[in-house]
Amino acid sequence: MARAHRVAGVAALFITLYTLVFLQTLQVPFIERNTVDEVLPVIPWWLLVLFGSYSLWSLGWGLFTFRDCPEAYHELLSEISEAKNDLRGKGVSVD
Amino acid sequence: MQGQFASNDTHKYSVILPTYNERKNLPIIIWLLAKMFEENKLEWEVIVVDDASPDGTQEVAKQLASVYGEYKIVLKPRSGKLGLGTAYIHGLNFCSGDFVIIMDADFSHHPKFIPQFIRLQKAHNLDIVTGTRYRSTSKPYLTDATPGGVHGWDLKRKLISRGANFLAMTVLNPGVSDLTGSFRLYRVSVLRHIITVTQSKGYVFQMEMMVRAKALGYTVGEVPITFVDRLFGESKLGADEVVSYAKGVWQLFTGV
Repeated sequence: MARAHRVAGVAALFITLYTLVFLQTLQVPFIERNTVDEVLPVIPWWLLVLFGSYSLWSLGWGLFTFRDCPEAYHELLSEISEAKNDLRGKGVSVD
Repeated sequence: MQGQFASNDTHKYSVILPTYNERKNLPIIIWLLAKMFEENKLEWEVIVVDDASPDGTQEVAKQLASVYGEYKIVLKPRSGKLGLGTAYIHGLNFCSGDFVIIMDADFSHHPKFIPQFIRLQKAHNLDIVTGTRYRSTSKPYLTDATPGGVHGWDLKRKLISRGANFLAMTVLNPGVSDLTGSFRLYRVSVLRHIITVTQSKGYVFQMEMMVRAKALGYTVGEVPITFVDRLFGESKLGADEVVSYAKGVWQLFTGV
């Protein structure tokens, strides 16, 4: 079973529960019906906004903390010239 | 597997280097590999899988074999450009080590990180250790790991890379932070197993290997690496690559 099937299964379960509560087939225990009716319609939008802001923060933070490594570049350049000198001495053709 | 070194490491590490027109780079990457392996007293070999490069890569590989020994630099050419995945399968046929290291021959992957890969593998008996550009510490923790990073990328390139990575993380939850990187240490039997079930080509191939590894229950560790983008020649990243990447992520989502 692929990941897509598992994700679809979990999503189907939640959508069914949501629809049943929405159509008043299922009752939410311990919460007044009025409150449920007010909160329920905004939950999908709340999830969408939540996911959107998570994505933006995650991307932005990732971009901000993406490190540059100029020291690795300079170290590599000096190693390359060292390698070339050594290899020339051993008879390997390098430019 | 013990070689000529008085070392307590009884393993042998085989590096598979797929090459195409790497005449300038091959001697230097092998010099760096040889230096690192000798300093760390490790038993090693390099399998050069050359796809009939017209620039004389194979001649230079033969010269290197005469310098370092033909049992150390093993040239196993192929008749044409046949792709990355099959290059590893081809190289695996000739590996005499019990661990395999795969990396690029263009200096974007530096051999200096291999000893850290090996230490992490030993400390936790891991099946795979992969290099990551996105982390600053290794996973599981290793005291001497230094923060990863890239050189030669502008903000746009970094944004695309982060976006692509975020997409894969969200959709696939692969458990590793760098899916498209190709600097990895594999237990030889694990690489043989994963590669036989992997179907993608190109750089979706590297991603599929990691996703399959997780699905098959293999243990994977991560070491932060510095990534110096191609010193010579252009590294391309256009709209086509982005689209084929997204398609690849989707295929793995529905297929694995």
